[in-house]
Amino acid sequence: MDKALLIQLGGSVVAVVLLVALAAWMGVARATPPLDAASARALLAQEFPDHRPDAVWIAADGAGIIARAGDLALVLWRRGDGYVARDLPWSAVAALKPTHGRLAVRVADARPVFAVNDDAWPPKEFV
Amino acid sequence: MLKAQFDPVQLAIPFFVLAIILEILLGRLGKAKANYETRDTAMSLSMGLGSTVAGLLFGGVIFATTVWVWNHRIFTIPMTAIWAWVVVFLLEDLTYYWFHRIAHERRFWWASHVNHHTSTHYNLSTALRQTWTGGLAGTWLLWLPLSFLGFPPAMVAIQKGISLVYQFWIHTEAIKRMPRWFEAVFNTPSHHRVHHARNARYLDANYAGILIIWDRMFGTFIPETDEEPCRYGTVKNLGNFNLLHNVFHEWIGIAKDVAGAKSPRDALGYIFGPPGWSPDGSRDTSHTLKAKWRARLDAEKASSAP
Repeated sequence: MDKALLIQLGGSVVAVVLLVALAAWMGVARATPPLDAASARALLAQEFPDHRPDAVWIAADGAGIIARAGDLALVLWRRGDGYVARDLPWSAVAALKPTHGRLAVRVADARPVFAVNDDAWPPKEFV
Repeated sequence: MLKAQFDPVQLAIPFFVLAIILEILLGRLGKAKANYETRDTAMSLSMGLGSTVAGLLFGGVIFATTVWVWNHRIFTIPMTAIWAWVVVFLLEDLTYYWFHRIAHERRFWWASHVNHHTSTHYNLSTALRQTWTGGLAGTWLLWLPLSFLGFPPAMVAIQKGISLVYQFWIHTEAIKRMPRWFEAVFNTPSHHRVHHARNARYLDANYAGILIIWDRMFGTFIPETDEEPCRYGTVKNLGNFNLLHNVFHEWIGIAKDVAGAKSPRDALGYIFGPPGWSPDGSRDTSHTLKAKWRARLDAEKASSAP
């Protein structure tokens, strides 16, 4: 690798670090207030337009949703300043056990954690 | 004639950096719509940096192949003729359209291109979220006919660079619409927002590089509508901010599907079918997602009719 290329790569790394730092410092991410019933329903309708949830549970910190639609659990959690949606078999989600107020759900590419009050799972919404 | 005297992309890097700083500042001051999430930005810029390094790995093979093809050319086209630049501009842009269309509509090539679309943001840093596996996907072969026709490899490389630089500025929400005549002919932020949108109505549209006329000609043009704002990312957004996962997830997905395929036909379908293809149709493709969206729309209309 020649010297000019190394200098260019080094300069690019510095530029990337500085730009990321600037973006973090400026705080220009989208606002993500805790979800309430209305915003949770709207998000579900957007991400799962072909499902009609029977029941919806919002995580205690408002950063995630688990809804039941028949045999499916519709799972949404905050990632950065947006949300990620996945569907899972309801039986798998219902069988989970929270510990210390945290319910960890395993999906193929993430392990989102949901805040649960009093380690009560499934919560009253699903009973 | 063989090696380009300059690389438009390399020359434009300082402009890229300044434009991103400007967009962040305008977003902060509320003067323009611009959102940057820290880890998303880090991923986009790291992808851009990594793609430069990955390009070095395949660059030699691509250059050698291009020169070999040019040595067997039909015509000898002078790099100094203005008409030759006009023709290469049009032909390169048409090539880009088809490359881009294949990169969205066939999973093997989507596996390489998907990581440009995984950001849930649409800002200038998204433009730099470039593939690391383009050389492996072999889409560069699509440009070889230009060299076979007789366009010097340097000319094609410069025109490709110009196209990439052009496409940088259209990755923004800060510009709402360009003048009508410009929107009619050129790819613009509005047209390209549609291309990056994950809303069912906007899927598989606006593949243009510089000229939007190709989408209008080949029936893939969809205008942005104010009543349905674009939501960005992929149909199934990534669950993490892992850089390597972003680069390789679709390749790994293909490998897993092929390993579990029940027949060679199924394996080929998983590799070369549209993204989301499955033998039993249990997964969604862009086509099925659009069909479901149209059905919902029709149902809504029917239920609201007097």
